[in-house]
Amino acid sequence: MLDFQDMFSELFELEDQLDKYDWIIEYGAVAKPVFSVNKLDVNLVRGCTSNLWIEKIEGNIYCYGESLIVQGIASMICDWHNQASQKQQMDFSLNILTNIGLAPLLSMGRQNGVANLIAKIKTL
Amino acid sequence: MRDYFPFFKRKQDITYLDSAATSQTLYTVAEDMRDFMLDHKSNAHRSGNSMGTWVDQQYQLSKELIGKWLNLNKPEKRIVFNSGTTQGLNDAAQLIMSAMSSGVVFIGIDSHHSLILPWTQSGNSKWKVVFIELDKDGRLDLNDLKTKMKLEPLAVSKVIAVNAVSNVLGLVNDLDGIKKIALDYAAVSVIDASQIISKRQVNFSGFDFVAWSWHKVYGPMGLGCLLIDPVWLNFDPVRSGGGSVTRVSIDSVTWQTNAGKFESGTQNLAAISALPRLVEWLIEHQHDIETHDISLARIINDHISLAQFTPVSKTDSGLLCLDPVVGSVEDYTMMLDAKNIMIRSGKLCAEPLITQVSNNGLLRLSWGCYTTKQEIELALDSLGEIHARFSRHVQRAV
Repeated sequence: MLDFQDMFSELFELEDQLDKYDWIIEYGAVAKPVFSVNKLDVNLVRGCTSNLWIEKIEGNIYCYGESLIVQGIASMICDWHNQASQKQQMDFSLNILTNIGLAPLLSMGRQNGVANLIAKIKTL
Repeated sequence: MRDYFPFFKRKQDITYLDSAATSQTLYTVAEDMRDFMLDHKSNAHRSGNSMGTWVDQQYQLSKELIGKWLNLNKPEKRIVFNSGTTQGLNDAAQLIMSAMSSGVVFIGIDSHHSLILPWTQSGNSKWKVVFIELDKDGRLDLNDLKTKMKLEPLAVSKVIAVNAVSNVLGLVNDLDGIKKIALDYAAVSVIDASQIISKRQVNFSGFDFVAWSWHKVYGPMGLGCLLIDPVWLNFDPVRSGGGSVTRVSIDSVTWQTNAGKFESGTQNLAAISALPRLVEWLIEHQHDIETHDISLARIINDHISLAQFTPVSKTDSGLLCLDPVVGSVEDYTMMLDAKNIMIRSGKLCAEPLITQVSNNGLLRLSWGCYTTKQEIELALDSLGEIHARFSRHVQRAV
């Protein structure tokens, strides 16, 4: 079971900030979920500056974000979570993402949203 | 003009287009605040020592020069220093509600939250709030205001609370028309001048309250002014304390007879000490500042049709808001940030208006006297390029 950085090593090899955003957006746009997430209040992730919904369907977590960048980042987190071990899932936090170099891609508002996303995933 | 602002020498790679939120700082302001903190820090008002006297002189000189800048008689009776626009507008609302037991306040729908909330959240059920709608061009509809005022013939008191320029639309509202209506209907007038004060010379005489923040006028943060009609000196202050009085006994108080009555406590004197040279600079460059603002507004109005965005309206002054067709405003802000272009996006503390014109907030480009035509063009070109990137991603995903 891959850790987050290994799973998305292609992203971490990019140096230009715009190229990183492009990669994230493409990931979120192309990696279509098998199931459509229901845009219900119960699935809404609080604290995001743009709306993001997540839902657990048949054992896996899927997302839908109105922001292209948020959709990309949330898709990465959900896809990684879906293949991670239980221990990896338990240990996962915003700190891991910032420590591996994603902090420049996450505004303070977005960091709050990602922290809430991770917390919500753990409740599902 | 740009050479007066050290920021642009120190951060040459930054394109700063968020001046409606806060402007960059005039060099004299940085120098004078530093000098105050290192050489002159002392408290104002009757200190009895020479350092305190110097601070008193700066304080008085600031008011005299603001009076000269805005063409005000007796500035010592009209200018109240405070922490900024928000405090000024809250104080004005509280003072009015304490002086008048009930009434109707007519608030522009294009207002910033700081003008709306002091009324809607006052908890005073004797004051009714009515919103003034916009005309087809996006400016306050004065016919709507008059119609709604006529529908309230029994209101004991009337207040008109509007901004001079909306922080979302960048359109200059008809202040002379508003002044006339206030006069015709014996209404109290409250003007949020925070977006116009750094751009245009306005005749504020005849208004009851005018509020602005100095950090939007190339000055220091944490300092604002509330311009008052001297008639309001007849009412007790909403906040009391040192500095606002001439005599106090156990059971009585004699308030100051000038605007200091509304300045209880120690003011932001480091910031005030920077005002004399700032205001002298504003007086000297007023014409150029205004001409530059009009010129940039014209350029951005002409160029915007080339970009893949829907402008919420054309602009008169200071800023332009855009609604992107693809992607969220947050996406654009972060992508522009990666190109060192600083803009603002979201609901811009004006949700009653934003919810009428956009689902998810807006992108706002705003400028100051130091902004160049090339910077505006760079931002618009970059927005177009980001739009193209987003469109490609979306098409690929379909």
